[in-house]
Amino acid sequence: MSENLKSIVFALSTAVVCSLLLTVAAQGLNPLQRENAAVDQQKNILKSVGLIAADRAYTAEDIKHLYAENIRCIRVDENGNVVTSDAADPPLLPVYLYRKDGAVAAYIIPIDSRGLWGRIHGYLALEADGATIAGFTVYKHSETPGLGGEIEKRWFQDNFKGKKIVDRQGHFAAISIVKQAKLDTLPAAERINAVDGISGATLTGRFLSAGLKDTLSEYEPVSIKFRTNRLLHLPADAERCETTP
Amino acid sequence: MKFTKSKHFKAFSEPLIDNNPISMQMLGICSALAVTVQLKTAIVMGLSLTVVLAFSNLTISALRRVIPRNIRMIVELSVIASLVILADEILRAFLYDISKQLSVFVGLIITNCIVMGRAETYALGHPPGLSFMDGLGNGAGYGSVLVFVAFVRELLGSGKFLGYSVVPDAFYQAGYQNMGFMLLAPAAFIIIGLMVWLQKTLSGDRDHG
Repeated sequence: MSENLKSIVFALSTAVVCSLLLTVAAQGLNPLQRENAAVDQQKNILKSVGLIAADRAYTAEDIKHLYAENIRCIRVDENGNVVTSDAADPPLLPVYLYRKDGAVAAYIIPIDSRGLWGRIHGYLALEADGATIAGFTVYKHSETPGLGGEIEKRWFQDNFKGKKIVDRQGHFAAISIVKQAKLDTLPAAERINAVDGISGATLTGRFLSAGLKDTLSEYEPVSIKFRTNRLLHLPADAERCETTP
Repeated sequence: MKFTKSKHFKAFSEPLIDNNPISMQMLGICSALAVTVQLKTAIVMGLSLTVVLAFSNLTISALRRVIPRNIRMIVELSVIASLVILADEILRAFLYDISKQLSVFVGLIITNCIVMGRAETYALGHPPGLSFMDGLGNGAGYGSVLVFVAFVRELLGSGKFLGYSVVPDAFYQAGYQNMGFMLLAPAAFIIIGLMVWLQKTLSGDRDHG
């Protein structure tokens, strides 16, 4: 066999053996990984409404228990009406509800935004007044560690707490991430709709702002219902979605 | 022959201190800066690299007589990359939180110069048993530096050991503060620098003495 042919055969067999090995591993471990990812999503939903303490370790069981106790999930159509049928057409929006003492204390909407390097997945929790942000979390992203990757850190996410998605007059204004220097020059009235960004991650901030705005406008009918107190109590059989989207 | 004098033991013990990949060969510094804020991530990273390195050395050494010379680097890389992906998959299945904190750095073991370096300079010229021990030794040498740096950074930066608070509240009330600088990457540079200095001084710096 000539040298070249030998190299090609060897390279091919290496590739086949390696890919077989990886396929078996990926397939075998997939159920465990999906379970972990699902628990992690539940954990982030809980974190967005402040039910996860920073300095405590939680087991998967703790998370599932906390989730089952506090969070409900409904689906709404594009007009913000709760849909109890299983019809999937037109596409329905999932809304997670944090229930405290029998009433809805906050609602949580899933965020799926464009980022610099990939999608940014997270949750934005709004208080039952339909205007105040209760929390923001990110559970999956591909941003650069140390720069855009800081969006997963608590210090950044805490900046969202207490900010508003409406302006002083009560009109929808979304929430945008801006540079510290620009934030200082904003009039006080606009500062309630702005969040201090991350230095070195201007683009991540810009994409995330746009993503948040899109999602919030999509959910605006739901927020209006909350602002006018029409969604605080739910039909008993309203629960319609899986625990994970 | 005493065990500590055996070739296998020497292959393992030399890279631990005398020929440590980080403090002597200055390899793998990038990940040493990134994953040493907490002890837990440093331990997992050290273990992952050790396993990958030991098995890549073993595999490449076992194949060293059949790998065609002209494509040996590509073959080494496929072996290493497969092992790294495997390690990443296992972490995501069993240690999800830690694997999230390690983020891209497990994947970046592929580009860690230690792994490729040992494959090229050691595994290609030594039998599998010795290569395996060499991999374990280099991994442990890398891991022990990581663990030391992470221990200092977590203790001074967050007042914790493996996530448990060890600095008494009374200290904080008396005005003690955690050193925020320790949480930033440059702190690891300084600690590693001090370590190298100390080690070179203690060993009398045989190379340049």
